[in-house]
Amino acid sequence: MRYALCSMRSEATDALCAMRYAPCAMRERITKSMKQELKRIEQEALDAIKVVSGLTEVKTLKARYIGRKGVVTTLLRRISSLPPEERPDTGRLANEVRKRLEEAFEKALQAFEADRGEIPAVALDVTLPGRPLARGRLHPITQMTQAICEVFQRLGFEIVEGPDVELDYYNFEALNIPRDHPARDMHDTFYISENIVLRTHTSPIQIRVMESQSPPVRIIAPGKAYRVDYDISHTPMFYQVEGLMVQENISFGDLKGILTTLVHQIFDEETSLRFRPSFFPFTEPSAEVDIQCVICRGAGCRVCSHTGWLEVLGAGMVHPAVFEMVGYDTERYSGFAFGMGIERIAMLKYGIEDIRRFYENDLRFLEQF
Amino acid sequence: MKVSLSWLKDYVTIDVDVVKLAEALTMVGLEVDALVDRYAYLDRVVVGHIVEIAPHSNAHTLSVCRVDVGNGIRPVVCGATNIKQGDLVPIALPGAQLPSGHTIQVGEIRGQVSEGMLCSEAELAVGTDSSGILLLPGTATPGIGVAAALGLSDTIIEFDLTPNRSDCLSVIGIAREVAAILKTSLRYPRLKLPPGETPIEKITSVIIESPDHCPRYAARVVLDVQIGESPSWLQERLHSVGLRAINNVVDVTNFVLMEMGQPLHAFDFDRLAEHRIVVRTAREGQAFTTLDGAERTLNSDMLMICDGKGPVALAGIMGGLESEIEDDTRSALIESAYFDPITIRRTAKRLGVNTESSYRFERGVDPDGITKALDRAAQLMVETAGGKLASGVIDNYPRPIPERVIEVSVKRTNRLLGSRLNQEEVISYLKSVELNVAPLDKDRLRVVAPTFRVDIERPEDLMEEVARLRGYDQIPTTHPLSHVVASPQDKKLECRSRLREILTGCGFSEIVTYSFIGKDACNKLLLPDNDPRRQMVSILNPLTEDQAVMRTSLVPGLLATMYRNSTQRNEDLRIFELGKIFLSPPTADRDELPEEVQMISGLWTGARYDRTWHLKGEKVDFYDIKGIVDSVCAGLNIKGLRYTPLDSPGFPYLRLGHTAEVYAGDELLGAVGELTHEVLQNFELKQPAYCFDLNFDRLVHCMTEKKRARPISRFPATTRDVALIVDDAIEAQGVLDYIDGLGEELIGRVEIFDVYKGPPISRGKKSLALRFTYRSYERSLTDSEVNRIHETMTQKVLKQFNAQLPRRSA
Ligand SMILES: [Zn+2]
Repeated sequence: MRYALCSMRSEATDALCAMRYAPCAMRERITKSMKQELKRIEQEALDAIKVVSGLTEVKTLKARYIGRKGVVTTLLRRISSLPPEERPDTGRLANEVRKRLEEAFEKALQAFEADRGEIPAVALDVTLPGRPLARGRLHPITQMTQAICEVFQRLGFEIVEGPDVELDYYNFEALNIPRDHPARDMHDTFYISENIVLRTHTSPIQIRVMESQSPPVRIIAPGKAYRVDYDISHTPMFYQVEGLMVQENISFGDLKGILTTLVHQIFDEETSLRFRPSFFPFTEPSAEVDIQCVICRGAGCRVCSHTGWLEVLGAGMVHPAVFEMVGYDTERYSGFAFGMGIERIAMLKYGIEDIRRFYENDLRFLEQF
Repeated sequence: MKVSLSWLKDYVTIDVDVVKLAEALTMVGLEVDALVDRYAYLDRVVVGHIVEIAPHSNAHTLSVCRVDVGNGIRPVVCGATNIKQGDLVPIALPGAQLPSGHTIQVGEIRGQVSEGMLCSEAELAVGTDSSGILLLPGTATPGIGVAAALGLSDTIIEFDLTPNRSDCLSVIGIAREVAAILKTSLRYPRLKLPPGETPIEKITSVIIESPDHCPRYAARVVLDVQIGESPSWLQERLHSVGLRAINNVVDVTNFVLMEMGQPLHAFDFDRLAEHRIVVRTAREGQAFTTLDGAERTLNSDMLMICDGKGPVALAGIMGGLESEIEDDTRSALIESAYFDPITIRRTAKRLGVNTESSYRFERGVDPDGITKALDRAAQLMVETAGGKLASGVIDNYPRPIPERVIEVSVKRTNRLLGSRLNQEEVISYLKSVELNVAPLDKDRLRVVAPTFRVDIERPEDLMEEVARLRGYDQIPTTHPLSHVVASPQDKKLECRSRLREILTGCGFSEIVTYSFIGKDACNKLLLPDNDPRRQMVSILNPLTEDQAVMRTSLVPGLLATMYRNSTQRNEDLRIFELGKIFLSPPTADRDELPEEVQMISGLWTGARYDRTWHLKGEKVDFYDIKGIVDSVCAGLNIKGLRYTPLDSPGFPYLRLGHTAEVYAGDELLGAVGELTHEVLQNFELKQPAYCFDLNFDRLVHCMTEKKRARPISRFPATTRDVALIVDDAIEAQGVLDYIDGLGEELIGRVEIFDVYKGPPISRGKKSLALRFTYRSYERSLTDSEVNRIHETMTQKVLKQFNAQLPRRSA
């Protein structure tokens, strides 16, 4: 039976049709005997291969069965004497047997060759490059941010975000930096209008979170920040990660503990930390955190200006004025906050000298990560 | 802030190495930026021995010396007359740079080679004598550094102070911290005022008309001064901190400024109209010339020091040209005042000036230090410039700065710090920096903050004092005890990480570009005039014109990146960016924040596969980039994904006929297609590029959880192929949707496996080859059953799309 619609038939369908319409019983018998013979020969050869004991023996056997004067080869030649309608069927079987035997012999040969360390006649230049599957990279800043966030997620911190274009109130005032405070000099700010700025740090996220939820708070907030600055160690846009933990009985010692954990996980357990007093209007006490120079291990080098220390973090206990601003009970709760520049950490970790590389997006740079 | 070690030693005994001291200062919060050898500039000035001196053959006022400089004899031409053979003199060798800025070179003077310069005290800035060459003591060895020969050695300590520590903007302020660190006491300078004659009230007066801006103003007058050079010790102190010596009266005010942190100003008393001072705000628009010669326009918020007629100084910032101390000045009025920090800061900002004086007033000076500094200056002025002090002092203090009394609990201190200090220890730390402390009970302390510590207002400020003086490293490192609460799953974060995984898996690398771009970006993207993306958020003070507005599309960043890489011959790119765009609020409210929308956009240009020896030269096309969007949407499991030919005006930068809009149901996710030639040209790009531009927030909205697993059929599938000759305009999706709509349950899937145009198919037609897979979950399908369904399907499709079957070949 044929179906008219089928304009593209597969080979298998053709073969199936041919078999089904074989005309004569007698011819079938002749064919059958040749097929039986082929199957017998195949089994005989396979059995023989199993018991060979050397390379020469395999070669001899191979010649006997599928060599130019071998048994299977001879049988194949006889197919032309069969009636035309039986030729395809028997021919296919003969070829299949031949192929299976070739594979079996090849396998046996390889086994003995491998034993003797011989190189096969047809060898590939295995030193040519493999066929590549394209692999994209995540931007090094993304990788570094993820690594830092993962440490805090393991510690049970929640990831939150906030707007890049921010109200002066959240960026400064709620963080205890009033309009005419000299601390504003620490931030070269991009202004959108009198009351709107590009956030100069990720700290406004602290305020937004505390305004919307009551303690306990445990957050980590990555994001972009902006300052009017451009040189080998400053770009007008950069990334920060901000952390905040507020609940009852949080101490400065706890802050030291959490940041020590972070540094040990991002760099290594051998990297020591140094906390020294500093000033941020939104924390009190405030600290700058230095890590032992990862380049010279504290001996002093160009990267650390021969001090053996690298400044990587700003931190401190949340200032009571900030708590008052968001309506937290300053008697009951305490907390710490910290912030760090992602580029700085990535530069130290990956040995990058110029921060501007991150935003040039030269593929030769990006593909190294 | 800079101080010299030797100046510090005037007030505190320092018996530790300066490097150790610097480290200790850093660890109490006064970060030391650098330690600089005060006499490093004399490195190439050595002791020379004049072995021969002879007249210059071509100039009778010059002589030629042969000078032994330790490692050889050098010829030096010199004009001084106070030297003779055998003298030891300082010689500046080639390469030396003198304080005047002059660099010594080997040269010829009237035909005579000169390999250095013999110097005077003044030329080396080690004294004031410029009359002749400095003669060194006979014990000096030729070749050693002149600083060593003169026994000069000092270190300049440079601080990077935080804005809260205005008390440390003086040598005494730093010395106070040093004393606390070294557990020793501070020696204040001894004040001894000369007796005055004329009572000050008789000769001058001070009226404060703006007490809010000027809570305190004090003055003294020194009569009959002799203006001249300051003594060398005074010049030396000023030089050591980088200040220039001007004259004895001005130098004294600068000295006291550096010593005590109180900015002072000296007026030429005789040039003050009516010999009196009035403190008031300026008239709007008034012009005033400051002593740097700049004419400045004032406004009514600015505080001025005036005489009987008009302004003579910009209060707390800079004096006026008119009342400056000059060589002929005969009497001086010394001003010492407390100005409101905010007033000074606003004025300084507005006028764009920043002086040693404004810097300190902005941060807050010591209100009780006003008269001490005034007395100190009066004393030094009489000592250095002669003259007679008018008796008495004018001290107007209309708005007394209140004393700050703070109660602090030791228990709370320990709780916040995580420390275990007892009350005695806390008291001793606070007392070490001159805080006035008294215990109220076993726990609480009453602390009166000294007036110079303007940063101490709350108990927490005292806790920080305790912590920093004890040393942060002495506070035990602990781990917080906390409740275990899982934070909620965040769909955005989930979507973002899935997108990053999918796209990097597809060979796309992530880029990060600036959030601000040039104003012309919209023109370059050919956005129509009414496109909302043209309403950009502008930065008032951009760094450069191409970073002047917040981006409203990620596409310019992709194209700029493509351009940058093309100039570096990276011509095959697969990049994406995941970031925000900023859309202006529709209202004109100036305090409304823009809408921040997250986008995910990618670009593919150049080769389809990484170039290797296997594959050469195949270029990316529309279906490649569409395949990426397919993968993204499959990875996010977006339901109802469909593509339609570009139709909306939202994507004018993409090529008509080569771009599809991407929908999830009725929600427009974005577009995928080829960038137009014109846009590429606008970005100076030559080679075709394909891009997808999708709204991340909408992807998050349409993202669904992984499907539920379905059982796999135990029964074999059967396929049937059919080729349809249809009109070229028929969309493949339409055919597939039609078949899908027929709802035949036994169809497992239908796929397009070939599309062909050209002979023998007539023009305007194409052949679409479909493969149907039939499968049942309940039984094996028989051939005849499958054939019957397939026949029905085929006939319906043929009819629906007016299609033909290909002519059967023989
Ligand atoms: Zn180092």
